[in-house]
Amino acid sequence: MRNYTPLVTLLLIYAVMIAIGQGIQGMWQPIMLVIFYIAVGQALNIFLGMTGYVNFGYVALLGVGAYGMAVALGYYTDLGLIPALTLGFILAILLAFIVSMVVGGIALRLRGAYFAIATIGVNEGIKYLILGGKIWGGSSGIVLSGILRKAYGAETMRFLSTVFADAGLIVVAILSGIITMYILNSRLGYGLIALREDEDAAKVMGINVRRYKQIAFVISCILAGLIGATAWTLKLTYVFPQDVFAINYTVEAIVIVMLGGAGTLLGPVVGGLIYALLKYYLTIAFPGMQLLILAPLLIIVILLFPEGVVGYLAKAARGTRFEKFVR
Amino acid sequence: MLLKLEEVTKRFGGLVAVNSVSLEIDEGEKVGIVGPNGSGKTTLYNVISGVYAPDGGRIFFEGKEITNLPAHERTKLGIARTFQVPRPFGSATVRENVAIGAMFGRANAGVDEALEMADRYLEMVGIYELREKEAKLLTPLEKKLMELARALAMKPKLLLLDELLAGMNPQDINRILDLINKVKEEENIATIAMVEHLMHAITKFAERVVVMHQGSKLIEGPTMEVLNHPKVVEVYLGEKLKIG
Repeated sequence: MRNYTPLVTLLLIYAVMIAIGQGIQGMWQPIMLVIFYIAVGQALNIFLGMTGYVNFGYVALLGVGAYGMAVALGYYTDLGLIPALTLGFILAILLAFIVSMVVGGIALRLRGAYFAIATIGVNEGIKYLILGGKIWGGSSGIVLSGILRKAYGAETMRFLSTVFADAGLIVVAILSGIITMYILNSRLGYGLIALREDEDAAKVMGINVRRYKQIAFVISCILAGLIGATAWTLKLTYVFPQDVFAINYTVEAIVIVMLGGAGTLLGPVVGGLIYALLKYYLTIAFPGMQLLILAPLLIIVILLFPEGVVGYLAKAARGTRFEKFVR
Repeated sequence: MLLKLEEVTKRFGGLVAVNSVSLEIDEGEKVGIVGPNGSGKTTLYNVISGVYAPDGGRIFFEGKEITNLPAHERTKLGIARTFQVPRPFGSATVRENVAIGAMFGRANAGVDEALEMADRYLEMVGIYELREKEAKLLTPLEKKLMELARALAMKPKLLLLDELLAGMNPQDINRILDLINKVKEEENIATIAMVEHLMHAITKFAERVVVMHQGSKLIEGPTMEVLNHPKVVEVYLGEKLKIG
């Protein structure tokens, strides 16, 4: 009884968003902001939502992914555009893989809150390693715009930082959704749900909990690395350590997952939509005051839907013909 | 020989919870473990299922040493258990709970097969109609039945029941005992049932009884003989058991 139909809902939402962004003047930027937050939530959800473990070092993975792409485009420009881009994606994945294997291998021996505490240091650690060690330009970061313009021309650079970066992020966001759906329908997903609910009982049920947590962690981190590579390096054409290792993105991702519904497919989509749109329009309507208004609104949503909006909807849809489409 | 414990000891600080216990269980055997509260029964179960590593002694399953094998690997070999206080995977449905047993136990089933098996075992224990319910919403009795279905779906060779019958009414007890006996006959599962108080249930179930007392094995032998043994009566039952 595997059910992939919620993917229809997911793709429909993306189609509507892209249509609005392309069809209505001035909507593309807010839509891309929404998709960025959805992607960030969707990738974190694979770990946080499925295992119940909070990864406070999450943004570090976006950061190393951003650096992977920046290093390839900035230092290996001579390879030519396509090879450099390919190398960028490979480096983003590889760096995220290495960091997540090391961090997961050590920190996932800890349970619950202790894991969360252990991961807080990861982000700061990597940031100060780059700053203090003057690695990859240290505090001056990697600025790509000049390099790219000189090597590939202004036209190509503009294409890279607009169409290609946006399309890349959309692909990563949708890919994260498809992977989530696949996991939810697989033995991995059942094992993760079991360990989220009761880790000791899951062990006795025959689940290798350490391995399962590690798999979910690495998948989540690699997707985060790809988001950093597309949404930050390609789109902004620069990488600064202070920008890409900013802990507020971790907090925002956690809020999005909890808001939409942890461990659901559509949760991060709904959470990302609510969060990004509120943040965007509150900033326009009440500049400087946006967080003061946003925070109580989020608290209200979470009080109304303790299992997240999609968690609530999935329960409400049970027994109706919409049941198959919500998860 | 299915399971063999060789002088197994488990300490918690200064407290010796299980003190040099040796035990042998044959394929398909029905054994009862009785003992008052704090006699080391649950610790013994935890040592067998791999929740704790013993501080001394060795454990063998089907002739292979499993003393230091992690819990999830023991499960794959065919050890399954229920918990004294049921531990459902709360937000998953009853059906998913049982399917998880089928997926990760010795049955090692794929997702689709496991969900089918779940239906079958839920029907067997009599809670099929609850299968779409969230497990945390079940009553304590239903949770126990679900745990039994989950353990059976793992297709174990050795089934450890931890106070499964406690809190059930006599009708349910009889039904569950019939069920366990039936499954056991069909699939040749060795079963160890642990009870604190339900002596009449153990007489209906076990061929052999082990009595635990203060972490040690007090006595072991055929059920009726052991339960009426003066030593057992003295330290545990207080008075002579009258059956029938």
